[in-house]
Amino acid sequence: MSAEPLTETSIVPAAVFLLPVLAGAILISAARMSRVLQQWISVLTMVLVSGLGAWMVYRVLGNVVLTTWKSELRVDALSALMVVIIGPVGLLATLYSARYLDQHVSQGPAARRTSTFYGLLMWFLGTMLWGCVTNNVIMLYVAIEATTLTSGLLVAFYWDRRALEAGYKYLMLLTIGITFALFGCVLLYAGAAGTNKLGGESALLISNIRRVAQFIPGRTAAITIAFLLIGFGTKAGIAPFHPWLPDAHAEAPTPISVLLSGVMIKMSVYALARTVSIFYPTWTQVTIFLVALGTFTMLLGIVLALQQNDLKRLLAYSSVSQMGYILAGIGLGTYLGCYGGLYHLLNHALYKSLLFMCVGAVMYATGARRISELGGLRNQMPVTSACYFLGAFALAGFPPLNGFWSKLTIYLALARAGLWWAAGIAILTSILTMVVVVRAGVRVFWGARPPNSPAHLEVKEVPAQMFVPMTILAGLCVLLGIYPQVPYPLLDRAAGILATLGR
Amino acid sequence: MNPAGLHTDLIETLSLTLVITSVAAVEMRRLKFSIIAYLCQALLIVALLLSFASVNHALYWWAATAFVTKAILTPWFLFRAIRGVDDHELKPVIGFGPSVVIVALLMMGFFRLAHSKVALLAPSGLAQMDVFRTNLAVASTVFALGLYAVLTRRDAIKAVIGLCLLENGVHLSLVSLAPGLSETALFGVATEVVVTVFLLLYVIGGVRQVFGTTDTFRLRELRW
Repeated sequence: MSAEPLTETSIVPAAVFLLPVLAGAILISAARMSRVLQQWISVLTMVLVSGLGAWMVYRVLGNVVLTTWKSELRVDALSALMVVIIGPVGLLATLYSARYLDQHVSQGPAARRTSTFYGLLMWFLGTMLWGCVTNNVIMLYVAIEATTLTSGLLVAFYWDRRALEAGYKYLMLLTIGITFALFGCVLLYAGAAGTNKLGGESALLISNIRRVAQFIPGRTAAITIAFLLIGFGTKAGIAPFHPWLPDAHAEAPTPISVLLSGVMIKMSVYALARTVSIFYPTWTQVTIFLVALGTFTMLLGIVLALQQNDLKRLLAYSSVSQMGYILAGIGLGTYLGCYGGLYHLLNHALYKSLLFMCVGAVMYATGARRISELGGLRNQMPVTSACYFLGAFALAGFPPLNGFWSKLTIYLALARAGLWWAAGIAILTSILTMVVVVRAGVRVFWGARPPNSPAHLEVKEVPAQMFVPMTILAGLCVLLGIYPQVPYPLLDRAAGILATLGR
Repeated sequence: MNPAGLHTDLIETLSLTLVITSVAAVEMRRLKFSIIAYLCQALLIVALLLSFASVNHALYWWAATAFVTKAILTPWFLFRAIRGVDDHELKPVIGFGPSVVIVALLMMGFFRLAHSKVALLAPSGLAQMDVFRTNLAVASTVFALGLYAVLTRRDAIKAVIGLCLLENGVHLSLVSLAPGLSETALFGVATEVVVTVFLLLYVIGGVRQVFGTTDTFRLRELRW
């Protein structure tokens, strides 16, 4: 990083999360509003949020840190990166949800609950944005638990056997997990306050804790890290705390799966990185541990994905595996590692959202989501098919798509740190990922149609409102693959914040 | 803050009674009694917070929030969830005999651990004092008992009670670990738990409708 950034008071950090919260409140209270109006309000809110996110990025690149309410909210490059991921992905998922929901709520017990759906969707996005801009360590916990609460009913939205089971597990396991994080946050606060080096400034603010972290006793730091890791790790789907993830991501309505896999778990990794990275310099052992945990997660996730027949569960397990890459990168603590981890976070948000949308499109068109019940869709659904394969190759890290560059950065970072075993496992996982997702795609789109399959007699391509978000995401995957330097200025600054171990 | 003004004996007595209510909440077979034990615990927590508040006035707010959320709303939601159904808990994984032994061991272990190693958790001068040590020891014991209940009980409602204990443990520790916490933060933390309990019981209500039971072992649609 160049010079110390300037601090500027601004209302934008507050607006960016209060806007969706307000929209959500309006949508929930006005249950008789027409569905089209609900959709328009949601889309418009997310357009505004994306715009504010872009403005934040612009300001942050001008070496400015935005703060609100006496630094209670603070937007630096890392926060701006998260906001600019959540906003647009949220927008595309909202757009996509319109037709998807039209089909699914016209029958079944979920009918006439669209106002709840859109209200909770806006709250879900709002709480995620809040978590990314807050600078208060306790409020970070509150925001992350709030994302669980707002998304809990969305996971159980269909209210049938599978959805209810997933919803129960989701709420229960994540609340237990996140309680550990609260304890970790409290210890972090107590540790920072106990150093007596803050000179009267609040020990609740993460930016202040960062300054005194080196004075926190080592063993207190270790306990704090353990609690934070269990807490935020559960929410981020890090193995062995991942069992809730495939259930919730597979049973939720597809637009929600997009957000759960695309951004929510990233946001928890962000919280983990924000809090744990301040201990890297004093407690370097933790970096090896995080890398080991990351490699374990990536391998376990992909091995479990290998045996899936359900497309959504397959993608969910692959998300577990990809979180391993991000953790290994960020956990390394070096500039290159953090750059790779954050870059992968961005890329994974793009192509995993894309893949979930493609699977949702297949479900929309055929009503089936098991690989064994599907086949030969390439002629009837050319756009979906092309988008799926682009996403799959990006996920597998195939050049010249975006996933290749971030994975390459992580391999290089691991190798430069001398962790050859980790780099080896990461490459092996990448090959397995290729096998898993491409095999599934070949069967669904190119394979022979199973004889007595119930669905697809008259399968058609999905409507434009669904395939436009897909093509935008696919286009971004290609664009970031060909021009990997585009996100460099922002990622460079964001990685500089996390890379407390230096370049 | 002037710790000399604390009623140490009162606090110690309240703390120990608190642990007993946790054991009762975990071990009672009738859910109704279990919820009553939880209610008693909530009231004890409020009393404890009030007695600490004589030296740290911010805790009056905390006590008021805890009273509303823990002693009124949470038990109300829980009672509503068991209304009109058989409130005998489903047989837990670990029977009563072994469970009591495990709970006793957990209690002794955590109490000793937290009491002797308190400097690890809270490197501040405040936490070294006896009252706060006891507070932390009680908090971690309640936390451990809650976790034990969540992990070993089949009945979803009992698991929710365990979750409440878990949260109570963490909230109690705030008294010693984070005396300067702002009201908004406390309010956020406390409200969140009530909303969690409400949503969980709402989903459990759906589970009971669709599955006809609150036995979490019967939730086995999703495997691998």
